[in-house]
Amino acid sequence: MGSLRLDEVQALLVGAVMHPAQLDADAAPPASALLRPSARGMTRASRLEVYREQFWIRHLASLTEDFSTLRWVVGERAFDELLRGYLQAYPPRGWNLQRLGADVPEFVASSAPWSADPLAGDAALLDWAFMEVFDAPDAPPLDLRVVAAAPPDAWPQARIAFLPALRRVVTGHAVHELRAAVKKGEKCQRPLAAPTHAVVWRDAACFLHAVAVDPVAGELMRALLDGTRLGEACASVAAAHPAVDAETFDANVGQWFQQWTANGWVCAVDI
Amino acid sequence: MGYRQRHAIPDLGVGVGLRTPHVAHVLRDGPPMDWFEIISENYFADGGIQRANLERAAAAYRLIPHGVSLSIGGTDPIDPGYLARLRALVSRVRAPWCSDHLCWTGSGKVDVHDLLPLPYNPETLSHVIDRVRRVQDELQVPFALENASSYMEFEASTMPEHEFLAELSERADCGILLDVNNVFVSAYNHGFDAEAYVDAIPADRVLQIHLAGHTHKGLYLLDTHSDHVRPEVLDLYRRALRRCGSVSTLVEWDESIPSWDVLSGEAAVARSVRDEVLGATSKEAAWGASA
Repeated sequence: MGSLRLDEVQALLVGAVMHPAQLDADAAPPASALLRPSARGMTRASRLEVYREQFWIRHLASLTEDFSTLRWVVGERAFDELLRGYLQAYPPRGWNLQRLGADVPEFVASSAPWSADPLAGDAALLDWAFMEVFDAPDAPPLDLRVVAAAPPDAWPQARIAFLPALRRVVTGHAVHELRAAVKKGEKCQRPLAAPTHAVVWRDAACFLHAVAVDPVAGELMRALLDGTRLGEACASVAAAHPAVDAETFDANVGQWFQQWTANGWVCAVDI
Repeated sequence: MGYRQRHAIPDLGVGVGLRTPHVAHVLRDGPPMDWFEIISENYFADGGIQRANLERAAAAYRLIPHGVSLSIGGTDPIDPGYLARLRALVSRVRAPWCSDHLCWTGSGKVDVHDLLPLPYNPETLSHVIDRVRRVQDELQVPFALENASSYMEFEASTMPEHEFLAELSERADCGILLDVNNVFVSAYNHGFDAEAYVDAIPADRVLQIHLAGHTHKGLYLLDTHSDHVRPEVLDLYRRALRRCGSVSTLVEWDESIPSWDVLSGEAAVARSVRDEVLGATSKEAAWGASA
């Protein structure tokens, strides 16, 4: 062990620190041979165990704080099991603990038994959207003079920029209402299936919100968020909803835009 | 000329860590406090409430960034994005120095978010010196490394931690953040003499001192920052002050965070110890001279 390079030493120790089960003298990992026993009677393995225990305490606490809706959906005991499985499948990467749960939605959607519960997947998606908007970049407010000065025939070519601190979340349940109730500590019930387009955003005062939007408006937002010009985005969404006549659709787009700007969701219009 | 004098390192007095439960009170009421330490990584984001609070706090108080994730002893390459964000933060709050820990935090792109100790030997020393130099070149302000609490020692260590830290600071020409609670904790855990450790640290390189509470876990002490500073640690603080002189002091309290009154009272205890050892010193004198 004495001839190992520092990177080899550190790789061994990381494996031991992330070990899912308690370390003791009977189950000492190879890394323990790198260490001295303590003068106070701690074995090599028990010294490593101090770090292993803290690894799980720290990361489980961080994820528990970040995924409150998911925790309610799966229940406390199963949630602990879910998080332990997640951390083994997706070890923490990078310095930013805020990003620790970035792959929780993917893990829940693809790993049994969690993948069998669509509400769990929805909760993970929404909780993560809140994490993302919490510290997403700031953006200056929309310059309404640009909007007012734009000639009508320029709008089809416009690109609409939404806040960096805004996420559109499509779920099979109104999970944003469940999250609000969980956060308030209210008695909750599992919501029935209800396809929902929710928008999660951070306002100018740094408060976080989530509301449901009209599904067609949500589709238009998706196209605009992808960078599609307004005219092209409207045409493609309208084509997908032939039952809505053109006049009604145009009127709806006008109302949605007013609503988006009133909510502070639009930060720039490139005309 | 000593390190502190060469870099005109100010004595900011006694501060506390700026933590979430107290932010609203601090920003709204502006209670008296000599200075605040901020966890660097908490303020790296380009937006959100933390950044907004940072701007307001920096307008009213002296803020010093203290990192936990640089991994100066790690073997993965130092993340240039991390360094760029740290440099921007230092500039934003006009910090006269910043600090992190003598430790490593992960390997193979896995970050365990802990302050893991290093084997103290010449090979590790050369490795860390090289990384400290690169960090300092990037930051353009004095950079200090803190002795971390530890719970394990390596068979491959050939020198005591204080000797490693002293030689590192001299050869890399960096500062030292002397955490006397960490000295106490590690001395208990490893059976070395805490006073001898403090006596061996190059006093002129100490640009900040940390105080904190710890938790007795039976066979070892855990550096929890969850309680009052122990009287034995305050004795060690007295010893450090007698050696180092007028140095900024910071009280850390990160778990079971108490009311502002209790926390500021803890800072007052540290301030009274400072006054007892140093007399009425003129904090900010060096800062004023360099500003």
